[in-house]
Amino acid sequence: MRRGAAGDAGTWLLAGAAAACLATMLMVLLLLGRAGLAPFWPAHIAELQLADGRGVLGEIVAKSKDTLVVRTTERDRIGSGYVRLAYDDVVAETRPPDAFVIALADGRRLFGRGDAAAASALLQGISASSAVEETFWPNASGLMARAGIFMRHAGRFLATSSSASAAVGGALPALVGTVTLVLLMSLIVMPFGIATAVYLHERRGVTAGLVRSAIGNLAGVPSIVYGVLGLGLFVHGFGANIDRLLYSAHQPVPTFGSGGLLWAALTLALLTLPVVVISVEEGLARIPASLRAGSLALGATRGETMWRLLLPAARPAVLTGLILAIARAAGAVAPLMLVGVVKLAPALPVDGEFPYLHPSRQFMHLGFAVYDAALASPDAVRGVPRAYAFALLLVGVVIALNLTAIVLRNRLRERYRALEV
Amino acid sequence: MSANPDTYTAFLTAQDARYAAERRWRRERMGGWLVAGGTAVVLAALLVIPLFLILSLLPWSPLPAGTWERLGVLLAGSVKAATCAVLVAVPIGLATAAFNAHFCAPRLRGWIKPAMEVLEAIPTVVLGLVAVAALAPWLKTNVATLLALIVIVPALLLAAGMAFGTQLRGQRGWLPLWLLPAVLAVTAAIIHIAAQRDGALIIPDSPWNAALVGLALGLAAVPLVFSIAEDALMLIPATQTQAALALGATRWQALMSIVLPAARPGLIAAIVLGASRCIGETMIVLMASGNTPLADPDPLSGLRTLSAELALGLPEAAPRGDTYRVLLLAALVLFGLTFALNVLAERARAALRRRSDAGVGAA
Repeated sequence: MRRGAAGDAGTWLLAGAAAACLATMLMVLLLLGRAGLAPFWPAHIAELQLADGRGVLGEIVAKSKDTLVVRTTERDRIGSGYVRLAYDDVVAETRPPDAFVIALADGRRLFGRGDAAAASALLQGISASSAVEETFWPNASGLMARAGIFMRHAGRFLATSSSASAAVGGALPALVGTVTLVLLMSLIVMPFGIATAVYLHERRGVTAGLVRSAIGNLAGVPSIVYGVLGLGLFVHGFGANIDRLLYSAHQPVPTFGSGGLLWAALTLALLTLPVVVISVEEGLARIPASLRAGSLALGATRGETMWRLLLPAARPAVLTGLILAIARAAGAVAPLMLVGVVKLAPALPVDGEFPYLHPSRQFMHLGFAVYDAALASPDAVRGVPRAYAFALLLVGVVIALNLTAIVLRNRLRERYRALEV
Repeated sequence: MSANPDTYTAFLTAQDARYAAERRWRRERMGGWLVAGGTAVVLAALLVIPLFLILSLLPWSPLPAGTWERLGVLLAGSVKAATCAVLVAVPIGLATAAFNAHFCAPRLRGWIKPAMEVLEAIPTVVLGLVAVAALAPWLKTNVATLLALIVIVPALLLAAGMAFGTQLRGQRGWLPLWLLPAVLAVTAAIIHIAAQRDGALIIPDSPWNAALVGLALGLAAVPLVFSIAEDALMLIPATQTQAALALGATRWQALMSIVLPAARPGLIAAIVLGASRCIGETMIVLMASGNTPLADPDPLSGLRTLSAELALGLPEAAPRGDTYRVLLLAALVLFGLTFALNVLAERARAALRRRSDAGVGAA
């Protein structure tokens, strides 16, 4: 055997593992992109001729080895129009160009054939208690027209405020809930995180050692345990007492005594503290010691040096810490399930009513929407694509934030390379 | 003093200077207090977690019958899920880290690390969705295919390395990029061939089982294992590798006999922290494990973990009721377990850091 052949084989195995990592990541992102955008693309309407002479008009939503599921007109409620057919029963499948679909605001879809007059006639025949969102003819539409419909659907998903049930309606409440939550969390975590990092940077002692080991060891505590703390201490402890003292008129209906935005933000702030402290402290430690020594030598106090020189120089590190904290918080769903996230909130946590931000309100969240749509949806055929759409939005937000952090970190390095000359 | 702003500076007295110095000193002290106060709040907030869990179980009153059995089942579920995940995450994470630290072309290294960070950034609820909506239906009929993949792909890699490794040694740094399409193609081919057969060779007890959880949870833990192991490997001074190469070792021999043994505490820390993360993770097990509270060592049956029990039970439990207290006890068990693992890993890493500092000093 040639010298080192076994070693080469081993290297290939290691490289294969690296390749498998990259491949899995690409596959997951591709799957998310495809499955997350598919719900907005207008599907063809199929007309199936059955062996017994009946015709079925609708969208084919699932195919297995010997059966297929077709969504036909939902006459009375959402999810009532599914038909399962055996392949053997289907004689012919066509895509009639005059087939249209009417989307109702309550999520139902009606299928028919003909022109606009036929569409309104179909609508007359059905107990349409709901407003018509749109009518379109997907089979007759060209690629550009379908892309237009796709954009319209995606835009509506992003911008629709709220609806009567969690199975329909857009992502806006969940998006607003997520953004409000992480912003509130950032406002809480940043001052404390920076103060702690400064303390750790300036002091070497028993207390600093204790803080350091607490942060190091608690960084790995599971997020659900933080949720337990949030529920037990914040909601049932602080919240119940605030209610007793300030909102006794509302008793026994809880105001702060049930999960809400404030408690969720506090819980997430605790969860993300280590990220911020470690990142800011690293940034402070990277600043050349000569800078600090020079400032002190010119007569500035330690506080002035920190405030005017070191913290501004560490600004990119502070930003990186903030972004990583936001990314971690946006992805943390488990603790929220204990401290106030709901599948359908009656009102947004921010609105035009004084005091504009309502910290005691329950809220919706993109991550929880993924969980809810995937597992708790009564209509799995609609639920899973919706879950993918929410997931794509969430991953988009989180990855964009992380990439920003990575770019900032690289800039930071460039900056100190310049400083050291 | 007359307050003419134009002449003000000209008439600065010693008194003014003293006032200014005092103001400055007061500001300095206030800043110090703010920093110390903020840190105190942070320390209190961090220490409150174990304190709260223990204190809320006091005053101790007997727990309902069967509590410990139930906790045992949940603990077994957590351990089972974590074991499956560690079996996925550790080989892949360590191998990728070893390649990245020791063989990788510097420019490719600049891409692999951010890619891992992107993978780490994917929220676990999304991986849970992928597991339950995309992977579970496939795995239900393809357990045998999965086993075949686990055996065939590494075997093919080894064989290819034996055959072409020596000729392509110059390209070694970029190997993952060449292997990426090859691995994808082989995987796709095996899956395609398996799909031709009707019926499954191995039928799992439940479509939501520990193997499925292990795949998704393992994927979630790979970046963590990778980054800690890579940090440890990077701590080993390059001079040691260079000395080994100068004495005639191949790069592989240098890795196996010098770098890996030197970095062992860091690698152990990576494994332990990976396990800790898998034990505490909630969303993936909640979505993909089936949540069946049965202790069963079979990796193809469902399970229920401590974390999933907390997420499912606590929102409905009445405060200070029996169920609530049992759940707090479960949280305490989970906390204690992960905390112990973290302390263990921190110690190993500290030992590695001390050792490598000494090594640098000696070099």
